[in-house]
Amino acid sequence: MDILLFRAALSLYLASCLGYLASLFARRVLVAKYAGWGLLAALVVHTLAFGARCLATHQSPLVDVYAALSFFAWVLAAVYLVFQVRTKTRVLGVLVAPAVVILMMAASAGLGGAVALPPILQGHLVSAHIVLAVIGEACLALVGLAGAMYLLQDRLLRKKRATRLIRLLPPLEDLDRINHLGLLWGFPLLTLGVIAGAFWARTVWGTHWPVDPKPAWTLLAWALYGLLLHQRLALGWKGRRMAVGALAAIGVLLAALAATGLLFRSVHTFG
Amino acid sequence: MHLVLIGMNHRTAPLDIRERLSLSCGEEGRPLAELIAIPGVDEAFYLNTCNRVEVLAGTGTPDAALAGLRDFVLRHGNLSGEMLERCLYLYRDEAAVRHLFRVTASLDSLVMGEPQILGQVKDAYRASAEANATGAILNRVIHHAFRTAKRVRTETAIAANAVSVSFAAVELAKKIFGDLSGKTCLLVGAGEMSELAARHLLGQGVGRIVIANRTLVRAQELAAALDGQAVGFERLPECLEAADIVIASTGSPGYVVTAEMVGRALHRRRNRLLFLVDIAVPRDVEPAAARIDNVYLYNIDDLQGIVDANLAQRREEARKAEGIIDAEVANYLEWFNTLEVVPTIVSLKEKVDAILAGELERSHAWMQHLQEADRENITILVHAVVNKILHDPITGLKEESQDHAARPYVAALRRLFHLEN
Repeated sequence: MDILLFRAALSLYLASCLGYLASLFARRVLVAKYAGWGLLAALVVHTLAFGARCLATHQSPLVDVYAALSFFAWVLAAVYLVFQVRTKTRVLGVLVAPAVVILMMAASAGLGGAVALPPILQGHLVSAHIVLAVIGEACLALVGLAGAMYLLQDRLLRKKRATRLIRLLPPLEDLDRINHLGLLWGFPLLTLGVIAGAFWARTVWGTHWPVDPKPAWTLLAWALYGLLLHQRLALGWKGRRMAVGALAAIGVLLAALAATGLLFRSVHTFG
Repeated sequence: MHLVLIGMNHRTAPLDIRERLSLSCGEEGRPLAELIAIPGVDEAFYLNTCNRVEVLAGTGTPDAALAGLRDFVLRHGNLSGEMLERCLYLYRDEAAVRHLFRVTASLDSLVMGEPQILGQVKDAYRASAEANATGAILNRVIHHAFRTAKRVRTETAIAANAVSVSFAAVELAKKIFGDLSGKTCLLVGAGEMSELAARHLLGQGVGRIVIANRTLVRAQELAAALDGQAVGFERLPECLEAADIVIASTGSPGYVVTAEMVGRALHRRRNRLLFLVDIAVPRDVEPAAARIDNVYLYNIDDLQGIVDANLAQRREEARKAEGIIDAEVANYLEWFNTLEVVPTIVSLKEKVDAILAGELERSHAWMQHLQEADRENITILVHAVVNKILHDPITGLKEESQDHAARPYVAALRRLFHLEN
């Protein structure tokens, strides 16, 4: 049942993604609007898929890397929809929807695989750690995407030529607002996620800080985001500089992910 | 039934003649009673905008109607016959339909793609309908014109982008700030151009207008007109701090807004985005200000460049729009052309139906011994045979009507079947 729902969600995500891409060419707001509704529908079905999995296995659905990817896709879509409603910038969906589809496709590789969770990865703190960190990272991923769009739009406006791309991209101030909101939500959530992880590490290994490359990289990204938020709130950094900072920070965060997944074996390598 | 159109527009007639004609005709709706009274004119539609005065009429006798309409224009425009020839255009049937579609879709406008004309045509149509001047023919063609205009608007980008400097500035402001409500606009210099741009910005919901001028009196005058606030030049630095959009248009020979001023203001406004529009020649804003982060500076040439590009794009889109017009005119004519054969088809069917009804009535007696179901079957059979026989001539007639070749067939049919005229 949960596999069926997952596949349905993936199809809906795909449809919504195609809708967003089509809206680039169709010159109509309506297409992007439908794509947004498609994304919402996909999100609901995806939620049901998680629920069905919970009912079937009687445990938290976040057991392996595939589930985590699927969860990340879910959070990204949800956070984006909230942002879309609050800032009315539908064009960001052109980047977000494909990212969600890619995550879901990667997640579908491990569909239905029943994994016996090692005892040290069970418990409420682990769930809290994963949920908080993933939601925080999704917010920050959006901040990164908005930053990329900001820099592009800034460049086009400075070139002073009327192009279709200028009209397509959202207004600068809306993108800057995504930066503001994303940092404001993403940073505290990431912080709480890291703290939950540290407490859990203490109960398992007796130390808050296990020797592991992922927390090291994440901490670097976390510090960068902290710095950015500080500059924004205290010094009034806005616009271009924040966009550049957001791109640099998301780079470090992606490096943290890559480091865990590809280069090192660590407690964060699943399965 | 025919359509005729008579009128003058900004290309064919100078303003004073258009003015005289439109004034003499009077308010929307008033000339309609007079138009409908012209011999030959069965239905009338009167359109009067600042760029055109036009009458579209449905008529059974196009020559008489056109002559009457010419007299109407001659009388109201107080024109000589020679002037009339120069200023006036006359269209019939297909050409009239095409002209109406092009006007409504804003392809015939002074600024191609401008959005007002559709509303003006709609108002004029309402006036005609209220005066009971329109009927089946005009209702159909005008609604088709609305549909065509809508298609042109949605399927081409003809009305997409700004084609005036002040609108281009407003569009850029929207690409920087998104929603303009709650933004503050500062006018440096109280010239005509900046007033125009400020009015556009107000129309887009800009929250506050501040006017800084060297002579305070002029600033106060403009402030009163725009419901804004007037300040002297000495307060420019603090105004820059509060403003989001600055439009500079003074006659000053040197820079009024220096890069250093902008830099300091930006610091104090905590780096909020600032959009500087410099439409003055010589320039008012030091070009180096454009290098500051979060500051976007456009001068008159930048804006003109955008306008030129947009105009070129509109011409490109107009070509697409003409294709749509062609298709819709053909679509309309398909219906319009069958009009001349419709009365004949109707009377043919009526005659045949009458014959059928009569014969069935007469057969009633000998059909008594049959079952109810059998009687019904016989009725159905007879109807089916008659319809099959009529099918080919009727479709043939409609097909001929598309090439305007139906007239001899109509005559023959009427004679052979003894159809009343």
